[in-house]
Amino acid sequence: MNYSTLFIQLLPEAVLVVTALLLLGVAVATEAKTGKPIANVTASAIAAIGVILAGFVIFNMPANLDSGSQLISMDPLARIFKAVVLGLGLLAILLPPARREIQNPGEFFALMFFALTGLLLTSGTNHLLFLFVALELASLSLYLLAGFPRTARASEASLKYFLFGGVSAAFLLFGLSLIYGFSNAATLPDLAVKLAENPTSPLAIAGLVMVVGGIGFKLAAAPFHYWAPDVYQGAPATSVALISAASKAVGMVVLVRFLLIGFSAASGSAAWGGMVAGWSLWIGVLAAVSMIFGNVLALAQTSVRRLLAYSAVANTGYLLVGVCANGTSAAGAALFYVVVYGLATLGALAVTAAVERNRGNDSPTSFAGLVHRSPLQAVALLVFLASLAGIPPLAGFAGKFAMFSAALSASTHGGEPGLTWLVGLAAIMSAISLYYYLSILKQAFVKESTEVGEESPITASHALAVGIPAAALVVLGLFPALLLDPIVTAVIDSVGK
Amino acid sequence: MTPAWTITSAFAAALLVLLLPARSAGFAKVIALVGSLVGMVAAAVACLARLNHPSGKAWSFDCDWIPSLGARFHLAADGLSLTLLLLTGIVAVAGVLFSWNVTHRSRAFFSFFMTIIGGVYGVFLSRDAFLLFVFYEIVILPKYMLIAIWGSTNKEYGAMKLTMYSIGASALILIGISVAYAAAGGTSFDIAHLAAASYSPALQSWAFPILFLGFAVLAGIWPFHTWAPTGHVAAPTAASMLLAGVVMKLGAFGALCVAMPLFPLGFAQWQPVIAGLAVIGIIYGALTALSQKDLKFVIGYSSVSHMGFILLGMAAATHWGLRGAVLQMISHGIIAGLLFGIAGRVVYERTHTRDLAALKEFDLWKTLPGVAVAFTLATAASMGLPGFSGFVAEISVVIGLWQAYPWLTIAVAIGIILTGAFSLRALQKTCFPTRKPTDAAAHALPPLTWPEISATSLLLAVSLAIGIYPKPWIVLIDDGLRSPLFNSILSLP
Repeated sequence: MNYSTLFIQLLPEAVLVVTALLLLGVAVATEAKTGKPIANVTASAIAAIGVILAGFVIFNMPANLDSGSQLISMDPLARIFKAVVLGLGLLAILLPPARREIQNPGEFFALMFFALTGLLLTSGTNHLLFLFVALELASLSLYLLAGFPRTARASEASLKYFLFGGVSAAFLLFGLSLIYGFSNAATLPDLAVKLAENPTSPLAIAGLVMVVGGIGFKLAAAPFHYWAPDVYQGAPATSVALISAASKAVGMVVLVRFLLIGFSAASGSAAWGGMVAGWSLWIGVLAAVSMIFGNVLALAQTSVRRLLAYSAVANTGYLLVGVCANGTSAAGAALFYVVVYGLATLGALAVTAAVERNRGNDSPTSFAGLVHRSPLQAVALLVFLASLAGIPPLAGFAGKFAMFSAALSASTHGGEPGLTWLVGLAAIMSAISLYYYLSILKQAFVKESTEVGEESPITASHALAVGIPAAALVVLGLFPALLLDPIVTAVIDSVGK
Repeated sequence: MTPAWTITSAFAAALLVLLLPARSAGFAKVIALVGSLVGMVAAAVACLARLNHPSGKAWSFDCDWIPSLGARFHLAADGLSLTLLLLTGIVAVAGVLFSWNVTHRSRAFFSFFMTIIGGVYGVFLSRDAFLLFVFYEIVILPKYMLIAIWGSTNKEYGAMKLTMYSIGASALILIGISVAYAAAGGTSFDIAHLAAASYSPALQSWAFPILFLGFAVLAGIWPFHTWAPTGHVAAPTAASMLLAGVVMKLGAFGALCVAMPLFPLGFAQWQPVIAGLAVIGIIYGALTALSQKDLKFVIGYSSVSHMGFILLGMAAATHWGLRGAVLQMISHGIIAGLLFGIAGRVVYERTHTRDLAALKEFDLWKTLPGVAVAFTLATAASMGLPGFSGFVAEISVVIGLWQAYPWLTIAVAIGIILTGAFSLRALQKTCFPTRKPTDAAAHALPPLTWPEISATSLLLAVSLAIGIYPKPWIVLIDDGLRSPLFNSILSLP
């Protein structure tokens, strides 16, 4: 093991931790000096600088760093997703919570940085125990971030998130220990070797089911999604942005690593007429359940935040279709889609937060006449929701199409129906989803606003948090290869098949 | 001027209109008119060039787009595409002219309008299934917005119904294309490549109906046509013209140039079913049109009936049948645009009613003789009288049908008679009502404006031109049908 390489690899995380400590220090010093907590702007400025610095470190890190450690690796997949997490984190920082929502911005952003550190470490490890530790670092910080405003709703959200999260962490740990007990291997490549000798071991399968359940909680896959609607509704938009975008992206990376590296020997099959027990079948079932559950329940929502939560469940279903196919290009397309999904959801949350601030609630009718009140936000909302619904030329379409066609290519051989049943379900569910996205867009574009109230304009940073994802979705929709090709290549390099 | 100018001019106009400052919103229609004229001229120039050099290599443009998927930005224009481009250009110009009086949020209106036009051009030119699907889906949201914001009669319901049918059908297309892509090796979305691959008969037997139905829903195949009348009626005039005139042709084009060439064996298996549904559509649409009270509903159901001829021509799968199907696409595009323009804009803007019984009050042949003449000619064209485009198209379809399913021609004859019946009924009630001398005198109505006159004349002239001298159109269509894509269909037993 080469410790100097290891140190260089850990630099981005180190930058984040130092920034977090700095934030806490400055916050304490300001409060001691002025008697008032640190200003929101100061805290978010320090946070933004920290994230940008960490991103800079990642982009300037020499290629082919190999410390020889499975604990912390900087393979191409980790490199891309560390950058993605930081980018999504920066967008979340641009969307600072309202003053009344958080009493202490210093603590809020410090916790956010611990969460980001955890997510960064999680996306670059192939080690079972380290995976758990890093994931819990992220999760514990996110539980607190969800409950930051001291309101009943936020406390409920935080507590629900924590209780479900705690149980799922227990399952995850138990599953990991079963796997370790079966294989005596602590890293994914070793596990793959051991599993190849005995792919149908009941111990390994039991462990697998539990681990997938634990990760499914992070991804908000049905039936592990019960926390999502309350957290999306009660937590500050910044925290929800982090949970829905960054945490989900990392959850997908973990799932892909775990299944395609560690459990490649026990894939089984979810193909029509040729189902074989294994993770592919288990993921296929979760995908179908999530798509149906998420889309059907989203149809009935009267709160846009809750609607986005169910849309998160539905989108997890589509993502799992890409994983289920057990192919590197399908997994790569799914990882592309999770980034695109994160951008769209983050943007939609940013617009919702602004509407909420002006109208006092997040019902679809609050969006009425948005196109006249704020054309930029209305057009951006159109981009976000159309991308989520998979309308071209936006990135969500490219992601879904790439994922579905790659899933079919990986599963159909010589005219077998393969995963056509699952892809067909996904395509139809995705069509249905347009109905509820359109119901919001209808308010924003077609209806006229009935209230004539004072509109507080959005801040510049808020405009960036809305504008950057919208522009990114258009660019990635027109030229998906910009991000899709690097991710697919990275998956092939890092996961190898 | 390459055919790509059609797409570019439409999208450029859509973007320019959107960027106009609020105080010069009045320029929106001018920009849209210029954009659509450029598109129409580009299409016409390309058609003429192709007629002069029919054996030359067709224009094409091909470059890498998404390498990891194998999707390419591949456009090409054979004669078949060119005729449909020209149709789109003509309907676009007429649509802008018929929307000359739109003042409510006019920038957004013309921007959405031109986006649809651009998407339609794109579909007709695409030679890559992924690209085709992108253009195909681009039109969905603008369609919704046009109907929901500027529409009438139950507009939100009509808009949502139409959108959900469209997106649901798109889901089927996505499945069908992905299945073909995967089974052909998962390396390329090129339509020629996909059509050249050999798929097992078992796969074709279930993949074909999925892909075909996806396209056919947009072409108004019975019993999935119900979005069409409600959507057409709810839509503002220009959108009705676009929907019936060109957007429905997207479905027909996709069915003809993607679904059938990709899975010819599947097509052979489902051929009788398609023919049967098409005939039911022709008769059902005509019968329903016969009992409508709203003039726009009459035209909406007549579209369902006329689209049945397109599907029937394709189901016949003979050279005459396919040629007739494409001719009918063009003919119906022009005539539906004309009818919706007259009913939705010229008549409705003056009388503020589309109710056949209420229109009686206006005695249109006296108060607006020009409208009565135009509507009579349009009705004659729609009935398929010789001298108009409808005749050329329908006779070709019937000849093709005679070669494949002689017995079905009887049903088609009944359909043609019914078409005459509902057309004449609507014409009589609208323009030539029976009025007693005791009835109150008809109200005076404002005279026709120049955009209305020019748009009506343009569409009428094209329909007459095709009816009197169809040869250039047939030459172009035959050029398209010679493409290797159709070999497998035309050689079916």
